[in-house]
Amino acid sequence: MNYLLNHAIDRSAERFAERTAFRFLDESLSYAELVERANKLAWTLAGEGIGRGDRVGIFLHKSIESPVAVYGIMKAGAVYVPLDPAAPVSRLRTTIQHCGIRCLITHAQKQQDTLDLLGAETPLECIIGLGAVDHPGIRAFGWDSLESAPGESAPNPGVIGQDLAYIMYTSGSTGIPKGIMHSHASALSYARMAAQTYGINHNDRLSNHSPLHFDMSTLDYFSGPLCGAATVIIPEAYTKLPVSLAKLIESERLSVWYSVPFALIQLLLHGLVEERNFENLRWVLFGGEPFPPKHLHALRKLWPQAGFSNVYGPAEVNQCTYYNIPDDEPESDMPLPIGKIWANAQGLVVDEKDQPVVRGEPGELIVRTPTMMRGYWQQPELNEQAFCQRKSAGGVPDVYYRTGDLVQEMSDGVLMFLGRKDRQIKTRGYRVELDEVESVLAAHATVEEAAAYLVAAGLDTASIQGAVILKSGQDEVDSEALRQHCARHLPWYALPESILLLESFPRTSSGKIDRRTLQGHAIERERSEIEL
Amino acid sequence: MKAAIKNYVVEELLSGRDIGDKDDLLLSGLVDSLGVMRLVSYLEQQYSLKIPPQDVTIENFVNIETISLYLAGRVGA
Repeated sequence: MNYLLNHAIDRSAERFAERTAFRFLDESLSYAELVERANKLAWTLAGEGIGRGDRVGIFLHKSIESPVAVYGIMKAGAVYVPLDPAAPVSRLRTTIQHCGIRCLITHAQKQQDTLDLLGAETPLECIIGLGAVDHPGIRAFGWDSLESAPGESAPNPGVIGQDLAYIMYTSGSTGIPKGIMHSHASALSYARMAAQTYGINHNDRLSNHSPLHFDMSTLDYFSGPLCGAATVIIPEAYTKLPVSLAKLIESERLSVWYSVPFALIQLLLHGLVEERNFENLRWVLFGGEPFPPKHLHALRKLWPQAGFSNVYGPAEVNQCTYYNIPDDEPESDMPLPIGKIWANAQGLVVDEKDQPVVRGEPGELIVRTPTMMRGYWQQPELNEQAFCQRKSAGGVPDVYYRTGDLVQEMSDGVLMFLGRKDRQIKTRGYRVELDEVESVLAAHATVEEAAAYLVAAGLDTASIQGAVILKSGQDEVDSEALRQHCARHLPWYALPESILLLESFPRTSSGKIDRRTLQGHAIERERSEIEL
Repeated sequence: MKAAIKNYVVEELLSGRDIGDKDDLLLSGLVDSLGVMRLVSYLEQQYSLKIPPQDVTIENFVNIETISLYLAGRVGA
């Protein structure tokens, strides 16, 4: 049987028991070891009353325990919810509350941060990964104590393909993060499609550059095990030190790379890659935001043996298009297409009334595919808006996901990405709703009105800037205090790089804040700074 | 030297959050690869030396302790 994500490691353990499933620096787990440890965790969770549909949080830095947590939770029948280990406490507490997380998996490195999450109102009852927790109503189990649980087989929680496998939280425009729910069926469907599209096999060694709470991690965590390949987890520190990262790619003989363009640009510019041997690298996959063409061309010259593929798809559908750069594609400054809708997905480019546009006209991309999410956790209004129903011959409507992305279909069926319908932006591949940044700024007691906008002048990635008008008589507050306020509520990648204190905002004729003008001013300032 | 480096890291990179000398500096989301580059140019300026790219590695930059050991070696040499 092969209808749940966790079946993949069981099948690969039957075929390749001794082959490496996951690596983290000097530590490795073979498929047999991964299955055994995941079974032990699953029984421990089952003993705590965790079963089908229960949400279990993962609060780990990247580590060899990460795949054990992911697969152990699913083997217990539960739904894994990866939490950003660097997110502010208030945001983590909100997610734990919103998602009703009773059990959290962590490790000693996160001891203090985990204790900070516990409060009087917490739904948490059980912490796995800490030997003891001095807090009323909390049971704790160290990783060592799992050893006594049975490892030969897993519990049978009766999960079916349509049940949830994971929930990933992302920026929400109202200020409350939204949880994207994926079922085993949608995620497995994606893992298979990606594996087939890129011909992943058991000799491959995949990078895991993305953290678990970032949706790009699913290719590394699911397509790899599905094919019996090895997935090499790249520690956070290496992702910030390109010279060390380049050494790791070489010594781990990685064959499939997948990351945001930003990581590849850092490697190119600061990784001393010309001194390294990347001969095993056969695929360079990238997505999450546009790749500046000049850097991409430089990388293609450095690694002529590798295929380069622009991967596109909102986390809500995992992936739905790709563009493999032809070997003979000439160098140009034109933006890279996102490619054609891939097999097993249908895409339509529609106008404001959901009617398909004439080919070549811009419109919103809507997608129907088995890799699509079930919806957002406990967000009925958002779920109303997220999907679009279209009549079908049989009388039961077809359901499409509205990507919110504006695209244009070229004569050969290839799609070009034009921009967003709303105020969602990408920075270093992370999705941020500018409305959320504004609502956090506006929530500060001294702030009358706030605006947030994107600035990208000469940098390799865009940065967010904010501007506020203070309430009268509040001149004691400075932008550093506002920055610290943001750092308590927003993830690091959503923090405004600078916050201006203004007397008034430019306005449109209808009196709305004219963010475009604010943005224009900011870009001019950046330019003049660069010229200085 | 260690205290000066720590002061810069805490104030400029971590928005005032304290960190131990042996804590992994790069686990914090607040220090990204651009933050590392800012730190490198600050150190170059402060100690009037050039830090070559091949020295900006995990061994030298994982925490405040290793950074000060690296710099002590460079300054003393």
